[in-house]
Order: sequence, then structure tokens, then C-alpha cells
Amino acid sequence: MTALKAKRSQQLILVGAAAIATVVVLLIWGDNLLAWAIGRRTVLIQALVTGLLLGGVYSLVSMGLTLIFGVLDILNFAHGALMALAMYSSYVLVSQAGFNPYLSLVISIPLLFLFGVVIQRFLLNKIMDEPHENQLLLTFGLALFIENLLLMFFSATPKSTNFPYSESGIPLGFTSIQGPLNIFGAVADLPRVLAFIGSLIIAGLLYFLLRRTRLGTAIRAVSEDPTGAALVGINVRRMHMVTFGLGTACVAAAGTLVLPFLTIQPTTGEQFNVIAFVVVVLGGLGNVVGALIGGILIGVVQKFGGAVFPGVNEMLFVFSLFVLTLLLRPQGLLGRKV
Amino acid sequence: MRTSLKALVVLVTLSLVAVACGGGGESGGGQAETITIGSLHPTSGPLAVDGERMAEAVEMAVEDINNDGGIESLDGAQLEVAASDTQGEAEVGSREAQRLIDDGAVAIVGPFQSAVAATVARTTERSQVPFVIDVAAAESILDQGYTFTFRIQPDSAGMGEFGARYLKSIAEASNTSVETFAYVHENSEYGTSVSEAFIEEAEKEGMQVTNNISYDALSVSDLTSEVTQAASSNPDVIVVTGYYGDSLLFAEAASNVQPDVKGIYGVANGAYSLEQFPEDAGDQGQNYFDSNYHFDATSDRANDLRSRFQERTGQGMRTPAVFSYQAVELIAEALEQSGSSDPTELRDAIADISLETELFPFDGPIEFNDKGQNTNAQPIVMQVQEGEIVQVYPEDFAQAQPIFPFVPWGE
Repeated sequence: MTALKAKRSQQLILVGAAAIATVVVLLIWGDNLLAWAIGRRTVLIQALVTGLLLGGVYSLVSMGLTLIFGVLDILNFAHGALMALAMYSSYVLVSQAGFNPYLSLVISIPLLFLFGVVIQRFLLNKIMDEPHENQLLLTFGLALFIENLLLMFFSATPKSTNFPYSESGIPLGFTSIQGPLNIFGAVADLPRVLAFIGSLIIAGLLYFLLRRTRLGTAIRAVSEDPTGAALVGINVRRMHMVTFGLGTACVAAAGTLVLPFLTIQPTTGEQFNVIAFVVVVLGGLGNVVGALIGGILIGVVQKFGGAVFPGVNEMLFVFSLFVLTLLLRPQGLLGRKV
Repeated sequence: MRTSLKALVVLVTLSLVAVACGGGGESGGGQAETITIGSLHPTSGPLAVDGERMAEAVEMAVEDINNDGGIESLDGAQLEVAASDTQGEAEVGSREAQRLIDDGAVAIVGPFQSAVAATVARTTERSQVPFVIDVAAAESILDQGYTFTFRIQPDSAGMGEFGARYLKSIAEASNTSVETFAYVHENSEYGTSVSEAFIEEAEKEGMQVTNNISYDALSVSDLTSEVTQAASSNPDVIVVTGYYGDSLLFAEAASNVQPDVKGIYGVANGAYSLEQFPEDAGDQGQNYFDSNYHFDATSDRANDLRSRFQERTGQGMRTPAVFSYQAVELIAEALEQSGSSDPTELRDAIADISLETELFPFDGPIEFNDKGQNTNAQPIVMQVQEGEIVQVYPEDFAQAQPIFPFVPWGE
């Protein structure tokens, strides 16, 4: 009890000191800070908007990963490759069959869900109790396999699709929304806004699923205590398959939603892999809402940091936040205490 | 147990003998019937788009030379290709280079990436085998004092310098003043070395940089923030150096932000002089400039070569692949002149060579200085006009007049 109290008071002192320091800085340099900020208003607002939208994409990718990591305790290095797989499936539907990319969600999500179930059933089930390094190697191997399969079929030529509403705007019955949107002088282009909205919707759906349905309760039970869950009659293996499938379905949605504004190559998913892990840690393992908030926070920190300190690599801010989280609150923002 | 051990020993001994007999014949100079040229390119991984085409170009060049009678001064010796995949990795590249050399290659062509070129150059220098770089821009590769490495393309410093001079000339020719510019570039050695050379030369030409913004090409998915920062300093022109994906993102972001500039100018840009760019960018990339290496589209020989490549592989022959073809021709010509397939004598022939080329818009024949850099290499300026890439400057190679100033996003 004393140790816990000591740690708590340590944290309080740190927070208190930080608060006092901030107040002092503002009192002394507040004027200059304000003037500087107003002078660069457009740049800063743009950075905020871009960061928010980027954060939405990060959240999308991370929600699936946090589910898999949190429930199955598997380091899924194939996450980015699965996203690429979804991107290419949608690409094929859009370019060959003339689908609207947002409509292709209807196919890419169930398709990748099934694929995830199959991977879990036939590949990962066998190594559930193995040490983490084995799981890592297996998912890494899977990632290589998927990426090179895509390379074989599609070649590495960057491919892109057009955003279907760039000319006409998004139809809303009697009117249509024309892009790009103007937000206090900053621009937000429509496909990214749609991806952002998509991430909110998916977070909501996942939250609803996990908190308000029997399936969700079963998944959470397995995550907390697999033995106990088995004892009350939950088919743990089936829950594993469903969860991995859900995680893959989420990243499929991410892949399809970013297709209208990114050029894709077989390795495109990789760029989100590392950040997804950072977001998952930041938000708390297994916490979907944490992934949403964490993703948006990372996006904003990245872009805002890059705008305030031009010339500094943006990823510095992302990884500084990562290190700080690990030091001060390793369970993540919304995670349970470790 | 004992019997299988014996059998194993016998097998191992036999195979060692076989290898010793089979592997010994090739190396060393004199008259060989087949001369092997090593081809090192990233045929897997994210750069495979160009890597594969470059590998194909080497095969095609060797075939063409063989069909033409091979190397006359060596009694019609035929060339053959030993190709290997660098996977885009520096260690793999140098390992494969060593393997190709051990297997008898008298020269190496490659590798498309500067990082890989650096390690391969070390290997070839140690093994004393000439290394002809088809594509790799970093100046530092040739700053190591290597005598066996040669580069045909202009290096990154050349790209930057010429880029700045060309911008000044185009501005003067169209009576539009360019006094300030913002530079947006990717932050690895490629983007940084080109931008530094450009900015230095630009300042000599009286153009000031108002904002120098860099980003990480591997993790970027939105350049709106960077474009806004560039625009906020009110430059006359925004200069862009980046790979294909991020340069396309730049065009997209610029068409949303719509900065008030006289034009967008790519330097050694990975997108703006590719035929794929106007297709992908549509209305967002109109009239973009790119000062870059390029095959000479006004040359009949280059166009003929490219259409044969298209027929043979079903893919367009992009500039890197043309460089690979040229590298093989260079080596073949050096073999002719040296009359020997000994790597050191071949190296000497390459160092002294003066090879006219119709494939590239260079300022003279290919000739190497003592660092191994082709002194007559130069980039030229391309522009997107009506959805096509045309050469616009210098006038000797122009297919159309440069359009400047311009508004890239519709209207």
C-alpha cells in the first residue's frame, strides 16, 4: 500500500511541477507566444486539421491491431500486409468492375474477415502458447508471403484510383458537398474526411459489439481469463478465430477507405505498421476507444509538432510520445493497470 | 551408422571435386568465348518497378550486341548476363556482387539505389572489377577515391545545379521574375543532397529560398501541412524533390491548398517526368516541370529502342532502363577497344573512353573524369503539357515551348 501511495505522490509531484512550469512560461512569454501563433495561424490550423485526419487513418489501422493484441496476445506483424491485401482487393473491384470504392467495403470487409479466420484457424492456433518471438516470426513470415504474392500479381508499379466524388461532390439528396472543405482557412479534402468519419463509425460499431452483445462479452471474457471462459462454456478457439477475423476486417476497412487518396504498392501497408503499434500501446492494449483516441492524438502531435518545429523529422514527436507513455503510463491512456 | 557416415564423406568429397573442376575455368583474361556481365538490380521489393525493367534492358542490350556479331576484337566473343536481385538492400547488393564476380563476371552494371551502390563499389574496388553505375545519384559514392566505379547519369549535385540554372533561364525567357522559392523535399540523402545543391546554385543566380521543408517519404500519407507551410512564405515558385508516391501526394495537396505561385518545379523528381504521372494526377498536375535525367525523346534511336522494349516486355522503357542499356553498350565498346576481357584492362578502356550517345540529351560524348563521373552528363527540363510529358529546355532538345507561369489546378 505504501509503495503505491509513494508512486501516486511521485506522479502528482511530476504533474504539479509541469503545470507550474507551464504557467510560468505563459506568464513570461505568453505575449510573444500568442503573437507568433496568430502570425502562423493558417499553418497551425492546417497542421491541426491534417493531423486530425491523419490520426483518423491511424486509428482505423490500429483498432484491429489492438483487438488482436489485447485479446489474443499476438504480435501481428502481418497487419500492414493484410491492409495492403484489402487495398488491392478494392483496387481490383474499382478498376475492373467499376465499383465505387466505398461500395467495395461490402466485399473487402467480409472477405478479409474470412481470411483472418482462416489464418487464425490453420496457422496461429498452433502457436498460441508459444513464446512471443515465434508468433512474431510467423506473422512476419506471413507478411512477407502476402506482400510478395501481391508483388507477383500486381507488380510494384504504384496504382491509384480516383475519388468518385471529386467533380460532383458527395450527393446528399437535394444538395451535394463539394471538396475540399474549408475549415477556418485550412483545407480538408473529402476522401480523408470520409476516412475520418469511417474510423469514428467503426470505433462505434466495435464498441457496441464488444460492450452490448453476447459475442462481445464472450470475446472480452476470453481476453480476461481464457480458462475461466472455457469453464463457463465459451468456445475459446472459436472466439480466437472470430477476434482475429474482426481485427482483420477492421484493417480491411482501413485499407479500402484510404484507397481513394493513396497510391498503393505491395509495401504500402508497412508504413502504418510501426505507428499502429505505437498507437496500440498509447491507447491501451485491447481498448478500441483507446486506439481511436490514441491514433488521433498521434496524428495531431505528429503534424502539429512538424509545423511548430519545421526542419525536425515529424516522427521524433511520435516516438517521444511513445517513450513518454512507456515511462509514465505504460498501461496506455485507457488501459487497465498492468 | 558407419556406412552412412562413409557415404556422406564420399558424397561431400565428390561434390567438392566437382565444384573445384567446374568453377575454375572462367576467371583470368585472354580470349574467352563468352564474357559475363553482372547485372544487379532490385527486382523484388518496392523498387521492383524500375529494377525489373533495368534487368530486362541489360538482357536486351546483350542480345542486341550478340546478334550484331559480339565483340569483334575478341573474335566475336559473345556476351552473357549473370543477373541478381539486390532486394533493395545494401548488404544483399554487395554480397551478390561478390558472388557474381566469383562466378566470372568481368563487369557489374547496377544498382539503382545510392545506398546499394556504395557497398557494391567497395566490393568491386576490392575485387578490381569495373562497376558501371546505370542509376544512383549520390555524389559521395565517387568521393571515396575508387578507380573502378563509373557513373553515366548526372549526380545529385549536377541535378541541383543544372536545375537552378534552368529555372533561371526559363524564367528569363518567359519574362517572368523568379526571385524566391520554397523547397519541399524528402529527407533522406537523395532529397537532401539535391536540394542543397539547388539552393546553393540558386543563390548564385539571385534566387532566395524562403522555406526549406522536408518530410519522411516512407511514412508520409498527406502533404497538405507541408504545402501550406511552403505557401505561407509567399514564394514565386515551389520546388519539389521526392519519390513517386509522395510527389503525387504533393500534387494532390497543392491542388487543394492552391498556393498563389507562378508554378511548380520538380528537380530530380520521381514522378513529374513519368508518363504515369498525368494519368494518376489528372487535373492536379498540369504543366508541372521536372528538371531530371531523361532519355532523349527527340532521338530516333532512343525512340526505336523504346518501342522495341515495349514490344518485347509489354512495359514502357523508363529512363533508368535506358541507362542500363547504355551501360552495357559502354562496356561492350570498352571491350572492343581494349581487346581483352581482363577486368583491369577493361577498366582502363572505360576510363579512357569517349562514347557518343544518341540515347541521352547530354552535352557531348560519355567521358569520365578521374573520379569516374561522366563529365558531359546533364539533366533536361520536362513539362506536363496536355497530359503528355514533353521536353522543353534546353532548346537543343526541346519538343515544345515551356509554359510559364502556369496554374496547375484546372481553370
